Amino acid sequence: MGEIQKNNDHARYAESLRASSPELVQCLQAGDMDGAIAILQQVNLAREQTLYQEVGRLTRALHNALKDFHLEIGLDGRLDVNNELSEMVDARSRLNYVIEMTEEAANTTMDNVDSASPRVQRLIERCDQVQEIWAKERAGADDEEYNAVSRLLDMISSESKHVQQHLQNILLAQGFQDLSGQVIRRVINLVRDVEESLIRLVKLASEVEQVAGIQSVILTEANQKETSVSEEGPYVKGVSRGDVVNDQDDVDELLSSLGF
Amino acid sequence: MKILIVDDFSTMRRIIKNLLRDLGFTNTAEADDGTSALPMLENGQFDFVITDWNMPGMTGIDLLKAIRADDRLKSLPILMVTAEAKRDQIIAAAQAGVNGYVVKPFTAAALQEKIEKIFERIDAQ
Repeated sequence: MGEIQKNNDHARYAESLRASSPELVQCLQAGDMDGAIAILQQVNLAREQTLYQEVGRLTRALHNALKDFHLEIGLDGRLDVNNELSEMVDARSRLNYVIEMTEEAANTTMDNVDSASPRVQRLIERCDQVQEIWAKERAGADDEEYNAVSRLLDMISSESKHVQQHLQNILLAQGFQDLSGQVIRRVINLVRDVEESLIRLVKLASEVEQVAGIQSVILTEANQKETSVSEEGPYVKGVSRGDVVNDQDDVDELLSSLGF
Repeated sequence: MKILIVDDFSTMRRIIKNLLRDLGFTNTAEADDGTSALPMLENGQFDFVITDWNMPGMTGIDLLKAIRADDRLKSLPILMVTAEAKRDQIIAAAQAGVNGYVVKPFTAAALQEKIEKIFERIDAQ
């Protein structure tokens, strides 16, 4: 409940107390304690009814919000997905689909690297052998043909080594699937948590007698927040997360400061 | 040299496996979290573990602690390769007895350097 709402409640309570005050004073002066208690109870009742109305309004708003997501709360408080197009469920399956697709793409890329890599390796080995034979066969030769073939063999060897390096870079770049997948999994969990919280909130709001419990539920959850070292997932640029190292050099520095 | 690669993403296991193969380490096995890694380590005569941190089930840091608490496994060298990059986490891993720490994304050279460093140290002892 917002600050304004709280002030409104306070003002309304003060107003109804003021309205009842002549009657209350009269009862007190007359020594009619039962009468005074009855008046106070009436004032309090009016205040509680405002609260109930507010909770009711909140409940309806939440129900509508959930309906917009095509979700419904069953009688047992469980979530019923009454439409296959439930956007929350859909959001999760779409994100899972992204993980699957990127995994497939990464594997296809690595299949190709695995197939190309030994070919390039054979090319390098074979080229080395021929270079040796060529140098031996034509020892001392310095004609145009000898030099042209020698240059070609040198080129094949050095270009192949470059290709090998690029293949390794392509392989390493597939690590994006792990890093992006970890971030997506966290978002999937977040969506699930929001969904569950909404359901809990609706249940709570619809059971007016449990209103007083709202505060304790929130408090308990806050208390349960882990204080130990927990997993954070990959560092996302622009998302501040406090004391994060920038690169491998930072890690090495930190470890060496710890005596590593 | 038998190496166990522990990571919940098969993509990353494959990358590390290929890099190790390029470095001449061909005897590798894979596990997708600490829970499946531990029994493999207990039965498998492994010489070296490369593990991720953030995994469902048993995390890498818990696996590290479990290995260090096990009399038969406690001297096993462990390299952590992870996206977890907070100072607190690196310190926690160091205190738990990790032998090396590589943050993702990493280069082949960084991985090679850390592995060589770990074995240099072990040989020196």
